[in-house]
Amino acid sequence: MTSTASATGWQAHLHLGFQRQAQRTILGQCAHRGPLQVQRPFYPEGKEVCHVAILHPPGGVVGGDRLRIDATLDSGAHALLTTPAAGKFYRSAGSFARQRQHLTVATGAALEWLPQENIVYQGARIHASTRIDLQGDARFLGWEILCLGRPAAGERFEHGECRQHFELWRDGEPLYLEQGRYTGGEPVLAAHWGLQGQPASATLLAAGSPPGLVADLRAALEPPAGEARVSVSQLDGVLVCRYLGPSATMARQLLILAWGLLRPALLNRPPCPSRFWTT
Amino acid sequence: MSLTLSNLPRLLQLCSPSLPVGAYAYSQGLECAVERGWVRDEASAGDWILGLLGHGVRRLDLPVFARLYRSWRAADPEAARRWNARLYASREAAELQREDRHLGAALARLLTDLGIVEAEPWRNAPRVCFATLFGLAAVKWDIPLPEAAAGYAWAWTENQVVAATRLLPLGQTACQRLLAAAGPVIASAVEEGLTLADEDIGGAAPGLALAGALHETQYSRLFRS
Repeated sequence: MTSTASATGWQAHLHLGFQRQAQRTILGQCAHRGPLQVQRPFYPEGKEVCHVAILHPPGGVVGGDRLRIDATLDSGAHALLTTPAAGKFYRSAGSFARQRQHLTVATGAALEWLPQENIVYQGARIHASTRIDLQGDARFLGWEILCLGRPAAGERFEHGECRQHFELWRDGEPLYLEQGRYTGGEPVLAAHWGLQGQPASATLLAAGSPPGLVADLRAALEPPAGEARVSVSQLDGVLVCRYLGPSATMARQLLILAWGLLRPALLNRPPCPSRFWTT
Repeated sequence: MSLTLSNLPRLLQLCSPSLPVGAYAYSQGLECAVERGWVRDEASAGDWILGLLGHGVRRLDLPVFARLYRSWRAADPEAARRWNARLYASREAAELQREDRHLGAALARLLTDLGIVEAEPWRNAPRVCFATLFGLAAVKWDIPLPEAAAGYAWAWTENQVVAATRLLPLGQTACQRLLAAAGPVIASAVEEGLTLADEDIGGAAPGLALAGALHETQYSRLFRS
């Protein structure tokens, strides 16, 4: 253990800054404190798009931990951020674990935010928030995937507290605010208007997309027969695609499909799936 | 300020289904919930309507309504604009946004015609919520905040219950039972909703978001949301 693990939990902070140099997007700033790191940037589709995988070496988050990620994309930069493994939030006797992610995208820049799911163990208490601030004509394509409990182990989320915020803003005005409060035992977990008894929920947002993709997405995103549901809606300034169902893996597969359809239209590039998504 | 015999009628006017904003045309996802079989009788209609009242209305609409009300009271239209934008961005499907926009703009036109000049810029605003103009009217008509908030929650509930009676074989007595059951839920929702801190605001309802979006392609529709 290093000095960053205090009695109150890990304090970790990662700051990433991307710039465009000539035709290349570079990771010009990369500072970290505590156990949040990145792998060496890689360029699987040429130098314009910088792919970065964010690592959290402890592998799980406990009550009292504070994780913070700030990323800034300067004008013209294009970055794809992902994680090599699901985020795990363990049971907490009392204190909340906090994960704050703030991503700022300058005009003329594009960000893809494609992390693996957050798995919230029964009894965990977490505040997780992801806020994206777009400026001018910045483009964004990204998702958040949440799994409450561990369905594969037969574990539900009968107690615990999960607050999850997913917010997209442009020029200081909110485009989409999803502010979830999921407390074990409350009606929101089982109700039809809530999570419908399903452990996995996910939201994909695309901002800056040309209109006309809603019908294509609806046709492509037919979930396998059963309890899973998928919806697509074009809101004011942002396209929203949602999943609610039994499996975070199924959510990811459907959102990868949506991402594959949206990426050429929004970012003028064919899909280039992350190597981490095959697992 | 308290509710008196002079401002009570204004509150009743604001909450009346005869308020000409066209709320009767919107079911806020309930029509889709019926189509999917999630709501099929009195009990499940109560689960849907009272559940949303105790979650989304309580944790999102009412705390934001309180801030809108206070912004208007402080004659701070910029603060009202910010909270309006926040509430609008919290509507999780296109038809749910459109519903708020149509109701809000209709109320802005009405209030302008009734001489409330602050409503005028909202008549054609691209993003406007019903709560924003409801709060303005409540301030201008000297209705206290808790009663105004209860009125807003009541108007929402009644509109949902009336929509349910058009979608399901529910009798008038069942309808009145649902409204009676809403009473205590509204009381506790107002009590908690008005005291929530900024960082505690938020009541995402994933099933409602799905219903709002799936309704867009529903084959048979009585309602516009």
